[in-house]
Amino acid sequence: MKVVGARLPRYDGVGHVTGRTTYVDDVRVPGMLHAAALRSVHHNARITRLDTGAAAAMAGVHAVVTHADVPLLVYGHLSGAGIPGDEPLLAKDHVRYRGQPIALVAADTVDIARAACAAIEVDYEELPALFDVRLGFDGDAPVINDTFGNWYDQYEGNLDVRQIRKGDIDAAMDAADLIVSGVYRTQSVEQVPLETQVCVAIPEPDGRLTIHTCTQAMYFSLGVVCSHLQLPMSQVKMVGGTVGGGFGGKVDTASDTLTALAARKSGQPVKWRWTREEEMLASGNRGPWHMEIIDAVTSDGWILGRKMLTIHDAGAYGRFSVYGLTKHSFHHTGAYSIPNLHFDGYVVFTNKIPTTAMRGYGVTGLSTAIEVHAERVAKELGMDPYEFRLKNANRVNDTSPNRIAYEDPSTVEVLQSLAAATGVELGDGLRAMTREQRSGDMLPDHLVAQIGSGGGH
Amino acid sequence: MELTVNSVSCSVQSPPLTSLLTVLREELDITSPKAGCESGGCGACTVLVDGQPRRSCLTALCTLDGSEVVTVEGLGTPEDLSRVQQAFIHHYAAQCGFCTDGLIVAATAYVGGGGSADTGDIGEALAGHYCRCTGYVKILEAVAAVARGDTFDTASTASSANNTYVTIAGAES
Repeated sequence: MKVVGARLPRYDGVGHVTGRTTYVDDVRVPGMLHAAALRSVHHNARITRLDTGAAAAMAGVHAVVTHADVPLLVYGHLSGAGIPGDEPLLAKDHVRYRGQPIALVAADTVDIARAACAAIEVDYEELPALFDVRLGFDGDAPVINDTFGNWYDQYEGNLDVRQIRKGDIDAAMDAADLIVSGVYRTQSVEQVPLETQVCVAIPEPDGRLTIHTCTQAMYFSLGVVCSHLQLPMSQVKMVGGTVGGGFGGKVDTASDTLTALAARKSGQPVKWRWTREEEMLASGNRGPWHMEIIDAVTSDGWILGRKMLTIHDAGAYGRFSVYGLTKHSFHHTGAYSIPNLHFDGYVVFTNKIPTTAMRGYGVTGLSTAIEVHAERVAKELGMDPYEFRLKNANRVNDTSPNRIAYEDPSTVEVLQSLAAATGVELGDGLRAMTREQRSGDMLPDHLVAQIGSGGGH
Repeated sequence: MELTVNSVSCSVQSPPLTSLLTVLREELDITSPKAGCESGGCGACTVLVDGQPRRSCLTALCTLDGSEVVTVEGLGTPEDLSRVQQAFIHHYAAQCGFCTDGLIVAATAYVGGGGSADTGDIGEALAGHYCRCTGYVKILEAVAAVARGDTFDTASTASSANNTYVTIAGAES
């Protein structure tokens, strides 16, 4: 306990305040080329012709990388977990979101690289695009994703929906004094790190690659790079750890793989730094969530059951969305114990930027929905919202939707602290409440069967 | 083009419309000003030009003949930190650090011009500097502490005046 409670100095404070911290963009290598990307101008289109001849012939251009240069074009961010890959590293014959990369040019200067991108000839056949997840299920909706269709269809091998069933939802609905339903939709959010996506890749004389990366997930990115390039991990050295902000947006391996390919093709070190516009247009963001909640409640404020439908907007490709939805499903009761559950969740594809992690992947928008809904239920019951929440708050050995017993739930104390910090007077009973296992008035019949023991976190 | 950068005279060769940011980073290898947006929106490239904070990404080289430019490298070194630099360490005002250099430059101009410890005034002076990590509270505290004339122990971290510490029952041990 030398560290807990001690006011330690920042280990990187001196570097940060004197300009000495070396971010990826600050890495200098002799002979370094600069890269720029050609990106789709359409949301959904077939590529009918791609001609890089004129660009490759320009003075100062050292490499033009297209789909034909990628040893393994399609690799999934969750391939390691058995989820098939669906996203090509560079578009081949179809672009599915505006900003999707088609080619990367490495040149003496970034201005030459951009001019060369403009000289690449692309013919498109534009197709109808889909932006609203709710329309993805329509029979006449355009097909967005070649691998999965319009929604992911391989949960547990062959299910097209992430399901949670716990207790008896029909009995809960029958026994309820009040049914409260609500629909909640959250928007997409860009993480906006001040440092845009950036990479420096250096081909070493022994054939290995050194990659200066801004990734938040070093070994994951190493695996993604080596998979696309079909190289053993011993051939790639990743240098990272200094990240100019990420917030989830640097979990996807956004720039390392393509920069590495350009470095190998040109035989020279290459830097690729995205512009702010590219970061906003094409880097993975927090996806929108469409959530429908139906709660079965009693007049004295117990939540007997919850029926929920979630549609997650993954954007054009899967990336981590299946993981995000699964995590979402495990958390769909929030900080409250609800014994009877019926959850259906879908990952739906649209012609938008593929979505990814951001601060509480799958859960942040969900928490908004759950808390707004809790407020509505309390209002409809005419009950103090603190009392409603504290009654239903997770307690030791209550179980989560995926049947994990909570060892140390802090909901009760968080609510009490919130009340104290905002000047809300709680009654004696609510002030005296603790996280300890339910008993007496706090253990009504409907919560007995869900009590577990010896659980995880 | 003749410039003084961090007290060193430089003869700069870049074309006249090159941004000062590019001159500093690519010609002079001074990398503390960051290319956060390259359109004047984020503040990460801020440097002092003749004592005034300027967005180096929007400042053309041809406007700077004979000017004196100071970046964060010129404000202090690890062995001899300026008070603003000390304050940013002690008050934990830098997290990822990418916006920090621009903020320290702007804060130095603010307190050097006699700015007060009023966080409203400081916020006004630092408007246009984005920080995505800290939520700004500790940055305001650091600059206010400099304006108040505090001394700083960079071997420890200050407690935040704005934190509300709440004891969680059962979590004390």
